[in-house]
Amino acid sequence: MNREYFIKYSPGRMPSESTIATAANALQVTDLVKRYATGVEALKGVSLEIQPGEFFGLLGPNGAGKSTLIHCATGLAQPTSGRIEIFGNDAIKNYKLARMGVGLAPQELNLDWFLTLEESLDYHGGYFGMPKKERRERTRELLETFSLSEKRHERTRTLSGGMKRRLILARALMHRPPLLILDEPTAGVDVELRLELWHYVQKINEEGTTILLTTHYLEEAEQLCSRIAFINQGEIVATGTNQEVAERFGVSSLEDAYLELVGRKELSRAHVELEP
Amino acid sequence: MSPDQIRFISLIRREVNRFLKIKRQTLGAPLLETFLYISVFGAALGSRVGTLQGFDYVVFIIPGLIMMSWATNAFANTSSSLLQQKFQRSIDDQLSSPAAPHELLLGFSLGGFLRGMIVSSITFLVAVLLVDLPVEHPFFLIPSLLLVGFFFAQLGVLIGLRSEQFDDVAFYQTFIIQPLIFLGGVFYAVTLLPEPWETISHFNPVYYMISLVRFGFLGIEAVDVWLCFGALSAATAVLFSVNLRLFRRGYKLRA
Repeated sequence: MNREYFIKYSPGRMPSESTIATAANALQVTDLVKRYATGVEALKGVSLEIQPGEFFGLLGPNGAGKSTLIHCATGLAQPTSGRIEIFGNDAIKNYKLARMGVGLAPQELNLDWFLTLEESLDYHGGYFGMPKKERRERTRELLETFSLSEKRHERTRTLSGGMKRRLILARALMHRPPLLILDEPTAGVDVELRLELWHYVQKINEEGTTILLTTHYLEEAEQLCSRIAFINQGEIVATGTNQEVAERFGVSSLEDAYLELVGRKELSRAHVELEP
Repeated sequence: MSPDQIRFISLIRREVNRFLKIKRQTLGAPLLETFLYISVFGAALGSRVGTLQGFDYVVFIIPGLIMMSWATNAFANTSSSLLQQKFQRSIDDQLSSPAAPHELLLGFSLGGFLRGMIVSSITFLVAVLLVDLPVEHPFFLIPSLLLVGFFFAQLGVLIGLRSEQFDDVAFYQTFIIQPLIFLGGVFYAVTLLPEPWETISHFNPVYYMISLVRFGFLGIEAVDVWLCFGALSAATAVLFSVNLRLFRRGYKLRA
């Protein structure tokens, strides 16, 4: 895996370095613009590349454009201009192949109330063309992995928040996607589950799954991600390793870099500790 | 089976499974409603009405009721399933899958279409047991019923797509679809109406659908059936292509 990290500054409208790269990236975003019908420009020319096998973090305040970027990559939002490729497949022109390569665990717990756990996974596998036998085996395996086997015949409505979170992750993994997108996977989950999820995603990353994670928990990004990007007001403002991003802002931690980014450096914990 | 076939069948299975899970509401209620119509209008009132255009009143209304079951159930299922899944955002699971716009559209449509088919088939079977129901032109009747079912499934998809709350769907159902069906002559022959109502009825598209189905069952030719059949086919094709365009555009589905 190519681990040549680089730092890229805003505005990010220049053709990215990756255009020179020959092998297909797991995710290649080029000059992506998304303007909603309301006129709001959620993405203002974002370029980003994630190499196969990376654990990539996308960080930024609420409304920065993280989810919009993810939705553009998975067909839930339609880009205004720019390009997205997933393992070399254009997300618009070649959407079938592109979407085969991605598993999305969305921020919202968007399970169907009417379906049982087993059905939720089974239908998902079906949408991705998995034959019945394979679906059955994979469903059993995932429900086992996420300690949901006992609930397999219950409707998703009856699950606790943590269980729903696990089922969402299981569903995203159902079709064995080489790129897994996790949109705030640990929002509102308890400590045990957060650690469990961390262990699990680290494991599948080691096994070769590329991961794109968005999170508000900076320690999560520090712990898990090999590379991160900061996004703010629809623009990528920094990309690199945690350390590189911190250095870029002239501070020592990711949190301080984040506070610099959002213009709230007075909240810095380093700063607070220095006060008498 | 190819991956494309598996995907398409999964989309339909999901829709069918949904209404089978709440069958009291999706199959039981409409069946009960139909049998109440048959017993109240057909059996109780019918004895006073006598015959209409040469048929017992109850026999006269059954073709319209069979068509109405298919139409209203196809409409109710597609509109509410789509809206419910948009509402829960669970539709994102299908939208972010490799499913093509036409596969998604047909998946939703056929779910409602099949629910309508089940309700009207049961109504038909029970009617055959209870009364002497002729089927004069089966090869005309079956395509007509299929078309009506598909038309209303498409209409339900369109309304489900446009709607943002359950109230919107209920509005179309209660204030537009139901009155059009009732005033289209399910319970009476439009020719019996005084003017201007008879002429006004001719502007109701459901009148022609009922006439088609009644011709198929009873052989009563109130309208030019081939012309009607052609017009209904054309209307269904137009509605389907409108929906297909909306699905391709991601209208109210993809931001």
